[in-house]
Amino acid sequence: MTDTVIRTSSGYAKSILVEAFRHWSARLGLIWIAVIAFFAVFAPFVASSHPYLMKVSGEISSPLLQHLTPVDLIILSVFIAAVVLWFLKKPLGFNVLAILITLAVSAVLSYSLVKPPQIVVYEQYREMQRSGEAEWIINAPIPYSAKDYLRDYGETGMEAPFNDPERTHIFGTEQSGADVLSRMIHACRIALGIGFVATGIAMVIGIILGGLMGYFSGVVDMLGMRLVEIFEAIPTLFLLLTFVAFFGSSLYLMMVIIGVTTWPGYARYVRAEFLKLRQMDYVQSAIACGLPLRSILFRHMLPNGIAPVLVAASFGVASAILYEAILSFLGLGLVDNPSWGQMLYQAVQSASFFWWMAFFPGGAIFLTVFAYNLMGEALRDAIDPYLKKKA
Amino acid sequence: MSEPLLEVQGLKTYLQTGETTVKAVDDVSFRIGRGETFCLVGESGSGKSITALSIMRLLPKDIAHHPAGHIQFTRYENGQSADTLDLLSCSDREIRTIRGSRIAMIFQEPMNSLNPVYTVGEQIMEALQLHWPDMSDKDARHKAIQALREVQIPNPEQRIDEYPHRLSGGQRQRVMIAMAMACEPDLLIADEPTTALDVTVQAEILRLMRELQERKGMSILFITHDFGVVAEMGHQLAVMRLGKLVEQGSVNDVLNSPQHEYTRQLLAALPENLRKQKRAKILQATQQKHIQTESRLIEINNLKVYFPIKKGLFRHTVDHVRAVDDVSLSIHQGQIMALVGESGCGKTTLGRTLLRLIEPTAGTFKYNGQELSQLGQKQLQPYRRELQFIFQDPMSSLNPRLNIAATLTEPMAAHGIGANKQERIMMARDVLKQVQLDPDYIWRYPHEFSGGQRQRIGIARSLVLNPTFIVCDEVTSALDVSVQAEILDILLRLREERQLTLLFITHNISVVEYISDEIAVMYQGKIIESGKTDDVTGNPQNPYTQKLLAAVPRLYH
Repeated sequence: MTDTVIRTSSGYAKSILVEAFRHWSARLGLIWIAVIAFFAVFAPFVASSHPYLMKVSGEISSPLLQHLTPVDLIILSVFIAAVVLWFLKKPLGFNVLAILITLAVSAVLSYSLVKPPQIVVYEQYREMQRSGEAEWIINAPIPYSAKDYLRDYGETGMEAPFNDPERTHIFGTEQSGADVLSRMIHACRIALGIGFVATGIAMVIGIILGGLMGYFSGVVDMLGMRLVEIFEAIPTLFLLLTFVAFFGSSLYLMMVIIGVTTWPGYARYVRAEFLKLRQMDYVQSAIACGLPLRSILFRHMLPNGIAPVLVAASFGVASAILYEAILSFLGLGLVDNPSWGQMLYQAVQSASFFWWMAFFPGGAIFLTVFAYNLMGEALRDAIDPYLKKKA
Repeated sequence: MSEPLLEVQGLKTYLQTGETTVKAVDDVSFRIGRGETFCLVGESGSGKSITALSIMRLLPKDIAHHPAGHIQFTRYENGQSADTLDLLSCSDREIRTIRGSRIAMIFQEPMNSLNPVYTVGEQIMEALQLHWPDMSDKDARHKAIQALREVQIPNPEQRIDEYPHRLSGGQRQRVMIAMAMACEPDLLIADEPTTALDVTVQAEILRLMRELQERKGMSILFITHDFGVVAEMGHQLAVMRLGKLVEQGSVNDVLNSPQHEYTRQLLAALPENLRKQKRAKILQATQQKHIQTESRLIEINNLKVYFPIKKGLFRHTVDHVRAVDDVSLSIHQGQIMALVGESGCGKTTLGRTLLRLIEPTAGTFKYNGQELSQLGQKQLQPYRRELQFIFQDPMSSLNPRLNIAATLTEPMAAHGIGANKQERIMMARDVLKQVQLDPDYIWRYPHEFSGGQRQRIGIARSLVLNPTFIVCDEVTSALDVSVQAEILDILLRLREERQLTLLFITHNISVVEYISDEIAVMYQGKIIESGKTDDVTGNPQNPYTQKLLAAVPRLYH
């Protein structure tokens, strides 16, 4: 009679997520990130000067597909793989492996097979449409590529939103005449990419070092903590400035530097969790059963101690995005590729201030950082047993 | 019948958790007379604490409500009944005048129920001055010292200025009682006041409560799960199950001739009664079935486990905690050796050291003639299979992220038992059957099980490796008595079937008397007495063992 089976929701991770995303604030954050992710994956389809389809002198062609870059294809194939895996519901390790394999295969294939035309003349499509050379053209929703500088329209090409009834620039254009909305959509990739990759690097280093420190304690712990303190003393922003000054700006360099300087936070969390988990009976029991160290660390301890790291990671993604924005704003970011910070930099560079150039990218940075912080807060509340009891 | 003090009539307390309503207390009626001790007994989750909290109106209003019932509390002035108050319907202001001054409460966990940032004296004085606002600090302090003296705290003049962390668990519980008694309440509600304490301390606290009750003439509502304590304390007894009172009456009547089926089950599940049944069985069978060999399976020689106390800037070792201090012991094949002692005596450390979960400081121990204390982790690996451990807390001993199949088959894979996953799953299902669990539970996760079921899974996990020696560390102390009886039964049966040798670590003497062949009594890191269980419990030689055995609350004297 006392042995009735108590049934509750399945799995700890799932219950934490359900708990976290019960709040509307976390849901809003998630929706915003999903929108950004959608634009990041489908940027060339949403905003491109190349038409989807057109018929020129009796021939139907798709310039958009012809101009897809290898990077576009890699991102698309990884996205499709992720969607397929989501429905297959395989274990986590299998998913990670499958994603990595897709990434490698698609990278090799697309770089070796896909050769988009080097010289792009965006104006040709508009020319064709005007002259009637093309019988019909199906354009992308935002018919301007990120680097489609409309310099031939007047002096600077600068236009406020909805200025010209012929050309609809919803968010206006910048100095060289490129569409602001299109540039923002293409910049989503950098915003998401730098956040995830930099945080990913930091988490991998932090979890491995923190886990070893927590499990072995003693001398390993002491040496590890000194290393943590050394890395915590390095100011990330100034290291970034120095490296950019010496080696020029590169997105990958930025990701690595942010990752390598922010891991101590994760290491501290994992160490503290592992010190606690080491004393748990089920870990002691795993040792008493003679299980291999790999299994004790990664099967019995890590899944039970990962929650605080995930909370820290969602704040970490936000701060990585800010670092990139700061560097770009200081003019040390990427030169030609659009990024939100770089667009802000351009907005303040010209003699007079044009509000649309600052407002939209600035708002995007604000909302993205805000969204990550909202999710981080919700996750933190969900794993906090004290707050849960009160609720 | 004595004059009525508290009358609970048809009390219902429903708890609202999300969508579901739990009928925690369902139509409960009882009556406590003046100067009487009323015991409320039941297993965990039966609603005994909720009943007490309902009387004090301490349940949070947003989740608890009372669809029906009255709690009539009679106030007395100078020995005369003055008026009667319904505690459920009176105003918040009125209930505050009742709480503390008329009805006081002491809780189970003495470690959490005192505020660590105030001294003991400040906390007692605060309670006093709340109820007598015109009392001066000097008078309050004097009264507080008196209260501490009444609960037999040595040197109350000095101890009054100490912080709670400087007191032991038993002393803290005395302070809690002193605090509750300082305002001279008519009714003391004691919610499992001795459950967290050692048996010798429990005996002292129970004696103290009886004395104070006689001197002050107050009533006690005593909530417990332990029938032995009931026999020591109570006048009246009520047995609670799933929010309902199934039986009530005088303690003698209920214990000696229980009427309700559930009460009989509970009493039959007590280790003392199990032991009687076992004796009867053995007499019938005329001879013991399992043969005890004389070969020593475990031999411990002068084992020492010290933990260094480090102090100062350079963390140099100033002293050691001698958790296990020069212990020699041998366990024969096929026997159940009980290791008995109070909390902090080093019995768990000894058990864990045998499995090398803790490294020994000095001394040796042999398993089957093989020296284990000096082996490296690699050489130890084959012995990890033969020596196993069952943990005390069924909640924390299973990895919450792994289902039962993974928990059971992973150790098998690590030791190369079973050819493939299918075979290992089949073997794991067999083991689940042996611990009387449905084999289909194998795909579930630990949080889907009750405490008793989890403990069975813990036993199953140690059995999958087919060990010869198992250390059972307080395996039943977190469980209800009926579940405890089932677990003990499983262990005894497995011992017969698999020729297991067990080191049974516990503080519960009646369990020891039921299950073990030999006993070793541990005190402050040393084994002070050992021998055949019947010899030691029947005729203890060491003064500490005598004190320990005398302190055990017994159902039948």
